[in-house]
Amino acid sequence: MSNSALVDIDSLQISVRLSRTRRLKIVDYASMKINPGEMIGLIGESGSGKTMLCRALIGTLRRRDAYISGGSVMFDGMDLATAKNDVWRQVRGKRIGYVPQSALAGPNPVLTIEAQLLESLGGDETLSRADAKKRAKELLDIVQIRRPDIVMKQYPNQLSGGMKQRVMIACAIALQPELIVADEPTTGLDVTVQAEIMKLLKEIRDQFNTAIILVSHDLPLINDVCDQITVMHAGATVENIASAEIEKSKHPYTIALYKSRIDLAPPRGELITIAGQPPAVGAWQTGCRFNQRCDFVTDACLIGEHPKYIELSATHQTACINHAGIEAKIGSSL
Amino acid sequence: MNTVNEKVNKTAEKGVDNRKVFAYRVGIRFIRSIAVAFWVTVIAFTLIRLAPGDPAQARLGAAAEPEAVEALRKQLGLDVNPLEQFFNFFRGLIKGDMGISLQFDREVTDIIFTALPVTLWLIGFSVLISIFVAIPIALFVATSNNVLIAYIFRSTTAISIALPNFFIALLGILIFSIRYNWAPLLGYTPSFPENLKYLWLPALVNATTLVAILSRVLYSSISDTLKEEFVETGVIRGIKRPRFFWFYILKPSLAPTVVLLSYIMGVMLGTTIIMESIFALPGIGTELITAVISRDYPTVQGITFIFGIIVVFFSFFGDLMAYWLDRRVKF
Amino acid sequence: MSIKKFRRWLDEPGNSVIFTGFSMFVAIVLAGILVPLFYKYGPNDFVGMPFERPGGEFLFGTDQLGRDILSRTFHSVYRDLGVAFLGVSIPFVVGTFIGIILGLSKSKKIIAVISSVIDGINAFPLLILAVALIAFLGPGLGSVVIILALTNWARYARIARTKAVVVSQQNYIEAAYTLGYPRRRIIRKHVSPNVSSETIAYALSDFILVILLIAGLSFLGLAATPPTAEWGAMISEGRTYIINAPWITLFPGAALCWSAISLAFIVEGISRREGKV
Repeated sequence: MSNSALVDIDSLQISVRLSRTRRLKIVDYASMKINPGEMIGLIGESGSGKTMLCRALIGTLRRRDAYISGGSVMFDGMDLATAKNDVWRQVRGKRIGYVPQSALAGPNPVLTIEAQLLESLGGDETLSRADAKKRAKELLDIVQIRRPDIVMKQYPNQLSGGMKQRVMIACAIALQPELIVADEPTTGLDVTVQAEIMKLLKEIRDQFNTAIILVSHDLPLINDVCDQITVMHAGATVENIASAEIEKSKHPYTIALYKSRIDLAPPRGELITIAGQPPAVGAWQTGCRFNQRCDFVTDACLIGEHPKYIELSATHQTACINHAGIEAKIGSSL
Repeated sequence: MNTVNEKVNKTAEKGVDNRKVFAYRVGIRFIRSIAVAFWVTVIAFTLIRLAPGDPAQARLGAAAEPEAVEALRKQLGLDVNPLEQFFNFFRGLIKGDMGISLQFDREVTDIIFTALPVTLWLIGFSVLISIFVAIPIALFVATSNNVLIAYIFRSTTAISIALPNFFIALLGILIFSIRYNWAPLLGYTPSFPENLKYLWLPALVNATTLVAILSRVLYSSISDTLKEEFVETGVIRGIKRPRFFWFYILKPSLAPTVVLLSYIMGVMLGTTIIMESIFALPGIGTELITAVISRDYPTVQGITFIFGIIVVFFSFFGDLMAYWLDRRVKF
Repeated sequence: MSIKKFRRWLDEPGNSVIFTGFSMFVAIVLAGILVPLFYKYGPNDFVGMPFERPGGEFLFGTDQLGRDILSRTFHSVYRDLGVAFLGVSIPFVVGTFIGIILGLSKSKKIIAVISSVIDGINAFPLLILAVALIAFLGPGLGSVVIILALTNWARYARIARTKAVVVSQQNYIEAAYTLGYPRRRIIRKHVSPNVSSETIAYALSDFILVILLIAGLSFLGLAATPPTAEWGAMISEGRTYIINAPWITLFPGAALCWSAISLAFIVEGISRREGKV
């Protein structure tokens, strides 16, 4: 399996510089694999480190005063964790595309849509300017924007949130990358628009066989479109499971996330929430970091390091040391 | 105005030519500026009337004959009610007639048109110097990401904003004119570029405050921009440095600075009064001081109006430029 | 407050800057009180030879008329800072009051009229209005206070209005209305403290501007006029002799800079406390 993986993140650690001497580890024990053409959902509460993981993949950690302090990020045989600028120039934008959070205004407000598409196409030196313009229009067609001629000449503030995000997707796929990192691409959009954007991403995967990492805090939203789900909690990946098998999850956190979905709550029944707060970033307790909030906690969960992945099958790894017991306890309650 | 903006937005979404939308907005805003200029005239007129005292009496002194005062009141057009005074003045203004100076026997408009270019040169030159200094400083401090540098920057600029510029001007004269003889003490030549010889020191003094104000605002907007997501996309797109600095850092940050600059250029009309008086430049500020001291009522009134109108149009061009740079700006 | 507590307070961001500025300000105010009370020479006494150098009997030297510059410099404090205080506090009170009334007013007509008056006045740079109005009021520190009262309230009113609108839309204010609290009480207890905190912040930086305005106008001969001991007027008098007797200009100039910088530090420290850096 690992031979054919497009991305192989292994025990990745990310730290932030707080001051000249103080460092804070915000991600550790993060591992995940992405196969070519696979759509993988990365789930976690805010502060779990999922955005930092994305930044590690697109090489923009430095802008946030963060850096990779351990582990590896293999992309098609190259280790991005130690990559220098010239490697990044070959990878960023060309082989790895990026779709930012919509709520934070992804497109550059002072450039027209056309200019931004041309910039994204700029990595391909063989493309003439006329061809690039033609290609830009094609890209807008692919992301299903009507009247591309008009939109090309417009500034982002003239577009709706959904349109902006379509443009960002067009920019991300401009050079047909093998991987697209989409960091909460639908936050702040209407529910109907969310669904459309998700559908569009799936179509792009099907059409170009692009692997996509879809980051979200909303498990139900992305469970439908993704092949594989990776769950993050407090700076660590805790479970990796095929979306079709999500109900067979062996990690209490995943189970809790899944059970807290509204549509599963019985009519008039209580809405299930996860008790307690996630531990503060970097201030992690010993043992499993979910041990304060877990219903199935045992003494073994309270000591030692955060548990590593236990391989249950090719498409299912979990970091819960009690996974066997949990299955017995909850049985078919899901 | 909101409804107009909404309409424009809707037409934009329908796909009307962007250039037409731009022209339409500029037109609307221009008409509004004229209305504001008119309003500012009314306010200035009212304030001058509200000030206690009689200009004719003040000009002639307390010991003057009542008949002489009455005659001067008549000459100044103060013998009718204020509303009529305003319409008379406004009628003159449209015709380009602001009355005749009491001290020089010259048309007020004539005084203004001779003196105004000097002042505008001084302001323009000060702004030019300040922009070229403030932008690199702000860029450096904001991108250095160093708390110490930011603190030093903030403290130095806070001090230089607080320094009284006439005192700095005197120190400048002491050093550059007297000690090293690099700048002439007084005088002026109206032709470019000889006038720069007389303007560089006052402009530099203006710049000490202006650089501090501009670089502070620019610094905080650049810091905000750097936190924005689109900067990340710029990195991803692999944009080359100069283009990146301009389109992804500077241009999205400039709008607030430009708006502030246009306001400050108005304020500088005031501070140049002091600069011109110190460096004996024959600008409009010097004219105003002379007129004030000799109680030359028509000249004071005329210059005040011109100032008001210039301020309004500075702010029009500031807003226009901010909108041109960054379409997020409300215009 | 114990020393330990004070130390901890100083460690918070911005507080050391505030403390520096505040100490500088207290120092000059103290000098402005003590020198007139206890110093041997008055500001307008001809006590020495003209142009005596600093040091010796006259610590700051004497001016062109043989007056003691130290005495003159510190006699100016209550004039410069005192008039500036008046010139800030009157517009502050009036402007904040008008702004609150305007922010809470429901009548669209009143809002439109008063706001456009405010915007019209604010369109003029302060110095221009001041100079123009002095033509009719005559030079003098009193005129400056009148002018500030006449014009500068508009800046406070604009700030107060904006804040008052925001505050009045807050839930607890609406709740207070619903509970039937009298309007006056709501304004006094809830709206005005919130609004004043905003206008006080502006007043501090305005204080600097007004100090500089008074000195600047006096320098032009439009506010305090010789022989009054006032920094701007003293600088103006001394500039004729700046080549041979620079101390006549430098001491009042330094005092003026000192006062303005002390306030600038306080303003800067407050903005650091609020995390605006």
